[in-house]
Amino acid sequence: MPEGALEGTRIVELGQVVSAPYCAKLFADYGADVVKVEQPRTGDLARHWGPFPDDEPHLEKSGLFFYLNTNKRGVTLDVSTNDGRDLFLKLIADADALIENNAPQRMRDWGLDYASLAKANPDLVMISITPYGQTGPYANWNGYDLNAFHLSGTSSRYCGRPGEMPLEHGTFAADFFGATAGAAWGLAAVVGRDLVGGGQHVDVSCAEAIAATFVGAQNIGGYAQDNHFEKRTGIGMPLGAPATILPCRDGHVWMLALEPGQWNGLAEVMGNPDWMQLEMFQDMFVRAQNAEAMYPLIEQWTAEHDKHEIMDRCQAAGVPVTAVYTVGEAAEAAQLKARGYITELEHPELGSVRTLGAPFKLPESPGGPTSAAPTLGQHNDEIYGGLGLSADETAGLAAKGVI
Amino acid sequence: MAKSLPLEGIRVANFGWVWAGPVVGQTLGFLGAEVYKVESNARIDLNRMLPPFAEGEPGPDRSLQNHAGWAGNGSITLNLKTDEARELARQFVATCDVVIENFGPGAMANLNLSYDELRAVKPDIVMLSMPAAGLDGPLKDIRTYGLSLTSITGLDSLTGYPDGPPIPVENAFADPYNGVMGAFAVLVALRHRSRTGKGQHIDYSQQEGVMQMVGPAFMDYVLNGRAGGPIGNKHPLAAAAPHGVFPCAGDDRWISIAVVTDAEWEGLIAAMDGPGWATEFAGVASRVEHIDSLHERIAVWTEGFDDYELANRLQGHGVAAAPVLNVADLLNDPHYKARGTFIEVVHPLGFKETIYGAYVKTSKTEANVRPGPVLGQDNDYVFKELLGLSDERYEQLKANEIIH
Repeated sequence: MPEGALEGTRIVELGQVVSAPYCAKLFADYGADVVKVEQPRTGDLARHWGPFPDDEPHLEKSGLFFYLNTNKRGVTLDVSTNDGRDLFLKLIADADALIENNAPQRMRDWGLDYASLAKANPDLVMISITPYGQTGPYANWNGYDLNAFHLSGTSSRYCGRPGEMPLEHGTFAADFFGATAGAAWGLAAVVGRDLVGGGQHVDVSCAEAIAATFVGAQNIGGYAQDNHFEKRTGIGMPLGAPATILPCRDGHVWMLALEPGQWNGLAEVMGNPDWMQLEMFQDMFVRAQNAEAMYPLIEQWTAEHDKHEIMDRCQAAGVPVTAVYTVGEAAEAAQLKARGYITELEHPELGSVRTLGAPFKLPESPGGPTSAAPTLGQHNDEIYGGLGLSADETAGLAAKGVI
Repeated sequence: MAKSLPLEGIRVANFGWVWAGPVVGQTLGFLGAEVYKVESNARIDLNRMLPPFAEGEPGPDRSLQNHAGWAGNGSITLNLKTDEARELARQFVATCDVVIENFGPGAMANLNLSYDELRAVKPDIVMLSMPAAGLDGPLKDIRTYGLSLTSITGLDSLTGYPDGPPIPVENAFADPYNGVMGAFAVLVALRHRSRTGKGQHIDYSQQEGVMQMVGPAFMDYVLNGRAGGPIGNKHPLAAAAPHGVFPCAGDDRWISIAVVTDAEWEGLIAAMDGPGWATEFAGVASRVEHIDSLHERIAVWTEGFDDYELANRLQGHGVAAAPVLNVADLLNDPHYKARGTFIEVVHPLGFKETIYGAYVKTSKTEANVRPGPVLGQDNDYVFKELLGLSDERYEQLKANEIIH
């Protein structure tokens, strides 16, 4: 079997829930050796969030934890104790990177801030992923994905109906975005250590990464220059049409037909109704001005057809219409099956369970989950033994509740 | 600050267009790589033509959003409809470490720039292809826009008001997300190359990249057969309450509040001066079960407050709360100001504009944010110095609209 691309890269994770664990998973799924450090007894908060089979809480049965912690080895360690901190410093002594998402003040309280860690390992890259980042007036604010997402400007600008509450993107969108940014910049810092002269601290604010690259990219230049900005419309693309989500017989479709060829293709698929030839629908901008008249007419047609039929026929006619897949439809999609995106892992408590594969394929060094998330403290003996602790010493620390 | 950036010495040919591909180049460029967009006046990237324009004057080098999304990339111009330009593109790739593209499958082969053709001139080239649904499979030729790509991942089905229809996110969240993930993909392959000497062709399906964000709901489908639906601002796994966005004083002003632990709940009660109804919601299970009535109670309390003042008050009690910012707020917010998120720069053509800089901060290196790029700004360097074309030949290729 070919080796993973990141074979030989050593990562320690001191993280919980989504952002740091997903970032570390990206390294683990491409072959890095990732050791995840969890609080003794309770473990990662994700273990308490589910989803659990039949909604029965169980430390080893959280689907979220299962998804985010593949290919990792797990240890328990209470880093707030002196013994725990000493052992943690041994763990990171020859690591390439630490990935963490604790509040900055908590890392300082533990004596695990970047300055302290750099003394123990000057080549360490510390990747910190938090809602607000390490600096700035909100650095010490409490926060979760929800707060970071709404601080990014995304919801006010792009998601929700005017006058109604702005919306999140239906998942832990800020955490995933921040995790991905941390992986890219963090791996660059690891790759470039010889050039830079050692490790460094990579500071990701989940809110900032989105505020900059998504909302800022499209809006800040215009606002700074013209002192004018837009807000969400709830429609999709307010200046061109059709460009919105419409109901159909069995769900919804993303209806898009902007360019002339696309509009003509849609007309053909819909059986060339007379109204589509009217002057008021002849280009995407005019159509947008007359959207209130047009959308119900298209909807009369979509309401009589199924989403996959609409998608297939439109795509065949060169119209970029897609079905709004439910999560179940996405999970069973033929495209993803054909490409082997969905994979299956054996887990001691959950049994054989499907999960998502690697986000991209590397033919020379395939990525993807091959071993299930660790049970709590599963690799304590192996990893602490490897650090030179005797069985007695490990047992002693366990008796004190440190591991 | 260190003298060198982490990716110094890495050269990138970026055939990426519109948004996702350029963000891959931008990220590598910010980190020190030498990145050139390969584009042409013969077919100007539509992203260069989107308003608003600098000083209100339209033009392919004046689109403000284009400059924000593309900064960090350089630019050379080649009219790839011609064989000579394709040959020059291959010669350029022979000097590069990385090639990026986000066309549909087969488009690069039609330009005689397939992975096999590029590997022939640079055996250890790392090539990143990022079509909508990957390089193979029954949907490989699917047409989508960045803002609708999320529909085929399940993500759009989760976005909207509870019990209502899916509500679109009105721009391509998937593009910068895939752009940043694409940069990670390139770095993974470069790490592999430095260990083994081998390059490779990365098959990046944007559908699969974005669907990673659907993992939590996917697991509920796998474990319980539930397909989910729009969740509004509720916790994606229904493990916390309150968890929402609440109205504040003023027009379209809101605050996000997330309570996960009992300590945070106690903090919220204290911030509200201990209302009598709070006892009805003891314990997270009860709060989650009665989340709608809980949210109604909290909304009555929040609506009289200024959003920033209320966030500060709640944070003083340890509650995770933050204002919901609009576009104007982003530029004026003290946190983003302190972090230098948005920066005023001088474009190579001389006008001032506001873009974003290092969207991640690094303690020892400062991002190389190069404003622009102006179409063809690096032609002289790439064709004369790097590829060694004579002045005469270079001028001839320009006159013949090969370098164009």
